[in-house]
Amino acid sequence: MSQAGTKKGAVSKLNRNAAINSLIICVVLLLAWVAGFASRLFAVIRFESIIHEFDPWFNYRATAYMVKHGFYNFLNWFDERAWYPLGRIVGGTVYPGLMITSGSIHYILHLLNINVHIRDICVFLAPIFSGLTAISTYLLTRELWSSGAGLFAACFIAIVPGYISRSVAGSYDNEGIAIFALQFTYFLWIKSVKTGSVFWAVAASLSYFYMVSAWGGYVFIINLIPLHVFVLLLMGRYSNRLFTSYTTFYILGLVMSMQIPFVGFQPIRTSEHMAAAGVFALLFAVAVLKYLQSMMSKSEFKFLVIWGGSLAAGLVFATVVALTYAGYIAPWSGRFYSLWDTGYAKIHIPIIASVSEHQPTTWFSFFFDLHVLIATFPAGLWYCIKHVNDERVFVILYALSAVYFAGVMVRLMLTLTPVVCMLSGIAFSILLELYLREEDSGPSEIEGDESTQGGKRLYDKAGKAPKIKHEQVKEQDPIGPNIRSIAAVVLVLLLMLFVVHCTWVTSNAYSSPSIVLASYGSDGTRQILDDFREAYFWLSQNTADDARVMSWWDYGYQIAGMANRTTLVDNNTWNNSHIALVGKAMSSNESAAYEIMTALDVDYVLVIFGGVIGYSGDDINKFLWMVRIAEGEHPKDIRESDYFTEQGEFRIDAEGSQILLNCLMYKLSYYKFGELRLDYRSPAGFDRTRNAVIGNKDINLTYLEEAYTSEHWLVRIYRVKKPDEFNRPRIPVANRVIKSSSFISKKNSKRKKGLIKNKPVVIKGKRSQ
Amino acid sequence: MTWNLTQLISASNVYVPRTIVAVKKTCIETVLNMEQFFTLPFALLEVPPIRLKKPSWLKQPSPMLVFSLVLFSYFLVTGGIIYDVIVEPPSVGSTTDEHGHSRPVAFMPYRVNGQYIMEGLASSFLFSVGGLGFIILDNVHSQTMPRLNRFLMTAIGFICVIVSFFTTWVFMKMKLPGYLQN
Repeated sequence: MSQAGTKKGAVSKLNRNAAINSLIICVVLLLAWVAGFASRLFAVIRFESIIHEFDPWFNYRATAYMVKHGFYNFLNWFDERAWYPLGRIVGGTVYPGLMITSGSIHYILHLLNINVHIRDICVFLAPIFSGLTAISTYLLTRELWSSGAGLFAACFIAIVPGYISRSVAGSYDNEGIAIFALQFTYFLWIKSVKTGSVFWAVAASLSYFYMVSAWGGYVFIINLIPLHVFVLLLMGRYSNRLFTSYTTFYILGLVMSMQIPFVGFQPIRTSEHMAAAGVFALLFAVAVLKYLQSMMSKSEFKFLVIWGGSLAAGLVFATVVALTYAGYIAPWSGRFYSLWDTGYAKIHIPIIASVSEHQPTTWFSFFFDLHVLIATFPAGLWYCIKHVNDERVFVILYALSAVYFAGVMVRLMLTLTPVVCMLSGIAFSILLELYLREEDSGPSEIEGDESTQGGKRLYDKAGKAPKIKHEQVKEQDPIGPNIRSIAAVVLVLLLMLFVVHCTWVTSNAYSSPSIVLASYGSDGTRQILDDFREAYFWLSQNTADDARVMSWWDYGYQIAGMANRTTLVDNNTWNNSHIALVGKAMSSNESAAYEIMTALDVDYVLVIFGGVIGYSGDDINKFLWMVRIAEGEHPKDIRESDYFTEQGEFRIDAEGSQILLNCLMYKLSYYKFGELRLDYRSPAGFDRTRNAVIGNKDINLTYLEEAYTSEHWLVRIYRVKKPDEFNRPRIPVANRVIKSSSFISKKNSKRKKGLIKNKPVVIKGKRSQ
Repeated sequence: MTWNLTQLISASNVYVPRTIVAVKKTCIETVLNMEQFFTLPFALLEVPPIRLKKPSWLKQPSPMLVFSLVLFSYFLVTGGIIYDVIVEPPSVGSTTDEHGHSRPVAFMPYRVNGQYIMEGLASSFLFSVGGLGFIILDNVHSQTMPRLNRFLMTAIGFICVIVSFFTTWVFMKMKLPGYLQN
């Protein structure tokens, strides 16, 4: 909240002089950094300094490996503990930017003799980078509009929940640093388009290189920037500046992005990158036409440029299509394809559709993540469309594409958030300039401010047009002081509520480590459920070092990271058939599953069961996805319809389908649960998550045995028996021959009782005095 | 490609008659090579008698038109239209109360990742109204406007913003009953 107040002060004082101006900018940015950092610490303060969720555990494990063994060993790391029996070439299948960033911070700190554990660097990396994101957002918005708008945008992005959701302390993931790289690349790109200098274009491609090394979302940049160029060409805004900056950026960016092992030859082989190459060719075509124009008469060449340009575009497109059909260019990968054909993933790739963050977005998420910015965003867009120039075309395209992508996938709210902050910053800045500017601040001072800023950047025309306009308004007919104060109050109120909302959302929705759960009693006491770490610690202490643990892929990274055991599948879902095999094992009956498990050398099976404490993210709730993914690969053995009742419901109680009640996942989740009575009001075997009494209460396991169940039954681990342990023929008790020993008792019928010397005599029924 | 080029030039011929002659006249010395380059195809091909014109409706759209389209698509996307297409929820939900009567339910409570079609459209309508309110507020500084209109515009702008904001707040409360508590 403090920074909201500073912001108000900032905007009104911006018109004093350059020194105060830059001081205010520095202070506001610093405060934004501090506020953003502080509001991301809820999880650390409530729980502890711990890595969150799933993917961060892999990133942390890889970083720790890199710090321990060095960078080159990390690049050549073959991880035989993942994807058993296939293994994983980690160096070639990971975006190393995150590990390198925290690894170099660790290195520098240790050079300075500051001994920080690598885990703490990983935990606090994302909050620190949020400050850098705020600064780069400020720079970008300043290029687009004005410093005031930039400060607003920086403050917004520091605390907006849409970005905090991916960058709280402990959420050590690619997105945390990638948004910074994204914004900074855009800033440098805008700068290079405005100046046409090779320096800025090279800087943009360097920043792009960092982005490529950090996150797969770099594809967004390499499609948005060509789109910007293309639209500028369509609008007839071709210039030599554009030509210089794009050609430099594209060639350098292409060469550098191919240096990342995971990206490799993709930039010249896949459809996602072809738009950039096509625009590159198109830009040359236009440049040649322009050159021709300089040699010939004008009027017909206006036409020639348009038609020649569109012809060249068509030719490039046809080439790309032809190459795709010929097989030189890989078609769109499923994850990108599902962005266009939104139903694609649901039908063809259940593994993409199964991830909750790949679900389409509802209105709730838009409001939850952006709050009042959702309404100011169109206003900012309106100003940009009204006063359009080269760089505002960019932000308009950014806004439109990001809104669409955010609508398709919840996860891509993250790319929408920065542009919403920028445009809202513009809208708020204009409104406050309109309603808050004092009458006595004459035009001369405003001009002075503009000239001081203009000294640094003579090219910048941004922000002048609206200011000049309402200066004239004020001279003629100022807005009344009453409306002024009402407007101020309302706007400040909105911003205050925004801050309250952001803090509330951060505290309640986005600050849970999901490794450690907390439940609150009616009197406000807090109970920590630490079952995950308990069970993983048990695994690491009580199983053989090379034991193979089968679980659903969600928990692969955690098992590898915390228990340090070999897993079959994990969150790097690169091998669909392997995952489908695990899904098939989970959804088959016990004997069929045993065949799969022996084929895969499984020693332990781990399931997550939330029925005791009412944890909804457990394996039974995910079970239908396992069935669907298994059905995709093994349609003869597994059919989704078998797991529903005749009415088409998914029920775990007595009316559920028999195949469901006898499949491995059901048995492992509810083994011995039928005997458990949670409280006096509910019957035995009452599942709190699904609010039903389970249908199959006497579960016997032949091929597996229970090895460990955590305190709240959240994690259940079973040992897979070896073939010699269960297939011994059962002998009736009467026929059992017990080995007789040569020992002969000396006791005869008289001496049957044993004696203890000095045994106290107990007389029953009498109380000892 | 060459045929296309001739077609193009023929098109421009139609637009500005006798271009080739014009070119010859204006820059004979400088672009002698260029001229050969352009006239070469005509040695082989005859100029087809077609009229290609830039269609009259194809021009750069006005900012207002662009913005209206943008705002409309924004209205649809923030209303979760893509969710509606993929998941196909009912437009309004229904529940059975204690008397056995079926009652309509407008909001899918507690489900962050779920919605009914109408609730999405209602909320995104409010978002758009809020956005329009901010834009109306900006229009206050047009110079020709009389004082009363200016006041009315400001009032309408603020009413739009505030109404949309607080109604969305109420929607949030219905969706997530613990919103902003604790």
